[in-house]
Amino acid sequence: MLWLLAALVPLVLGGALLFGGAGALWPDPRTELGRALLQLRLYRVLCGFVVGAGLAVAGAVLQALLRNPLAEPYVLGVSSGAGLGAALVIMLGLAARSAFALPAGAFLCALATLALVYALARQHGRTSIYGLLLSGVILSSVASSLLMLLLSLASTEGLHGITWWLLGNLQSDSPATLALGSALIAVSFAVVWWLARDLDALTLGPEMAHHLGISPALVTVLGLGCATLLTAAAVAMSGLIGFVGLIVPHALRTLVGPGHRRLLPTAALAGGCFLVACDAFARTAFAPIEVPVGVVTALLGGPFFLWLLRRRAAGWME
Amino acid sequence: MNAIELQNISAAYRECDVLHDVTLAVAEGEWLALLGPNGTGKSTVLRVITGLLPARAGQALLGGRDIRAISGAERARLVAVVPQEISTPLPFTVGELVALGRSSAHGRLARAGAADRRAIERALAYTDLLELRDRPFGELSGGERQRAAIALALAQETRILLLDEPTAHLDLNHQWEILRLLERLRRECQLTIVMTSHDLNLAAEFCSRLALFDHGRLAALGAPAEVLREDLLREVYHCDVRVRHESGRAPEVRPERRPQLAAGGRVRKVHVLAGGGSGAELLRLLVLTGHQASCGPLNMGDSDAQAAAALDVSAALEKPFSPLGPEALDAARRLAAEAEALVLAEVPFGSGNVAVLALAEEALARGARVLVNTRHLEQRDFTPQRVALPRLKALLDRGAIAWQHADEVIRALETG
Repeated sequence: MLWLLAALVPLVLGGALLFGGAGALWPDPRTELGRALLQLRLYRVLCGFVVGAGLAVAGAVLQALLRNPLAEPYVLGVSSGAGLGAALVIMLGLAARSAFALPAGAFLCALATLALVYALARQHGRTSIYGLLLSGVILSSVASSLLMLLLSLASTEGLHGITWWLLGNLQSDSPATLALGSALIAVSFAVVWWLARDLDALTLGPEMAHHLGISPALVTVLGLGCATLLTAAAVAMSGLIGFVGLIVPHALRTLVGPGHRRLLPTAALAGGCFLVACDAFARTAFAPIEVPVGVVTALLGGPFFLWLLRRRAAGWME
Repeated sequence: MNAIELQNISAAYRECDVLHDVTLAVAEGEWLALLGPNGTGKSTVLRVITGLLPARAGQALLGGRDIRAISGAERARLVAVVPQEISTPLPFTVGELVALGRSSAHGRLARAGAADRRAIERALAYTDLLELRDRPFGELSGGERQRAAIALALAQETRILLLDEPTAHLDLNHQWEILRLLERLRRECQLTIVMTSHDLNLAAEFCSRLALFDHGRLAALGAPAEVLREDLLREVYHCDVRVRHESGRAPEVRPERRPQLAAGGRVRKVHVLAGGGSGAELLRLLVLTGHQASCGPLNMGDSDAQAAAALDVSAALEKPFSPLGPEALDAARRLAAEAEALVLAEVPFGSGNVAVLALAEEALARGARVLVNTRHLEQRDFTPQRVALPRLKALLDRGAIAWQHADEVIRALETG
């Protein structure tokens, strides 16, 4: 399965290169314009792949750590926190100065949100999953409100930038951001893959994980940190794109099983392909008008989420 | 060498003490059951042995080594735990779930090797799950789930197996099936087994030794026949039991039926002298068995006074936290005068309440029956000149009936 997906990746990426705002067309690389166009598309496709991979892996890790199949970077407020941080960086004009500013702002705010969610959920030295989910939902809406406040205070010029970015935009204008984000996502992925069997054991609950020789606290902190970093890097590169972390891991579990040693790499490849394909669709479906890719994933993910909820209600996972 | 040794272990959850000074050794190949009422620390013992709850005082040794000095991965190869129930939100198959038992058996990114596969096959074979290995764990029945949990622990290939109420959620047939499986494992794999249980009879049938816990202390430890004694069980479980010993068979415990007022039984008027909660259980039983109870004198707000109010038992009351005055005592005397029997509960006596003894003496003098609780009698006299104890002993000498448990009072009322 892993090799099948790996073989699929160049096909999807290559195919996506063909699609432009004006429909399927291969630009002529002999002309200046053609080369520029090709480079723009290449960046965009690469960015889409990395972001999709990061979000899918973050979703899979959070679902295991929180023992909840509905967990996702959005649910925990991590995405909104990262969004708030990135918006602050854009508004303060720091984004233009350094490629590091956007991911750093997103990561710091995401981490602060997660720390706050964790602190709120912690009672008497114990952290309940319900507490985490509840405070995540609440802090997520607080972060969203703060984002709205920023929007209403923003200048017309800044407003356009933030709004466009909020809807999810894979058109990376700086190779530095692309390289930095990719590096962060690659490193976080390596760490969570290293924790794969610990994640498996942790889905049986912290006590059982302890009995199996695993330190639940260490794995939880490392895992949550990496999931936050994955999300923050993805948000910094592309804005808010939802539901990738929900759809992809679930689809992959039915194909390769729930074990994280196989799930995480396949989810990364599939998540990347999924987002690239969604983006290709978003660019060309209503050409010459471009639909934000976040809209496409949300329109696919919303119904999927509801279907998942209903299956769960029907006794799928007790 | 002992597989498990607990030396003077005390443990607590936050401020709440759960285990006091527990010393206990489990030999290799032994099967020990931890018994006792709910909340007496049975499961806490398991948590201390696995290092999940660090002991506040004392030392826990696994194979002669301090549990604190053993790393997580190493511990997982020494001792495996079967919790009451396992659940996972992921759709693991039975085979995948059992494979989690190998989590600490090899390097992080190493693939499962031949040794791992052999351990998993063996665990599945012993628990008779080979045919179910590709079934989703979530679809198993209760008995199959429990077998899968045991298989997961067996896959760890440890010498020690701990189980938290392995038969709690199972029907009769599956209870026996699981325990027979454990018996076979103990014999064939030389496993040391420690389990908590509420089923005294099953524990007596299968285990070599029993440990009985009471309020976080080890009340008894020994062979089933030594631990399952009527007096001991009554003390610990606060309930009357009968134990039948037959040679060649495990002792059998069955609860004595709660005394009930027979259809033609006489309803008696009973006055209770209690305080501080010492009479609540007695009042409850009296009302339950249809007798007419009264009580007092009691301070308002005393837990016995609250029990009396809740049970609609008439009571003579004194102001809160004050010594008994003549009015309350007179009110109590009027109630006591109507009663055919007067019962003294396990109350401590001080200068504030020693006057109530007069009511008992008067009752005995006029021929009514008097029942005196004799538990810790010597330690309950706090009067300045220790006058209460001789008066209580005098009551017993003059024909008052000694009692210790509320059931005895009810039985005494039914006879004669």
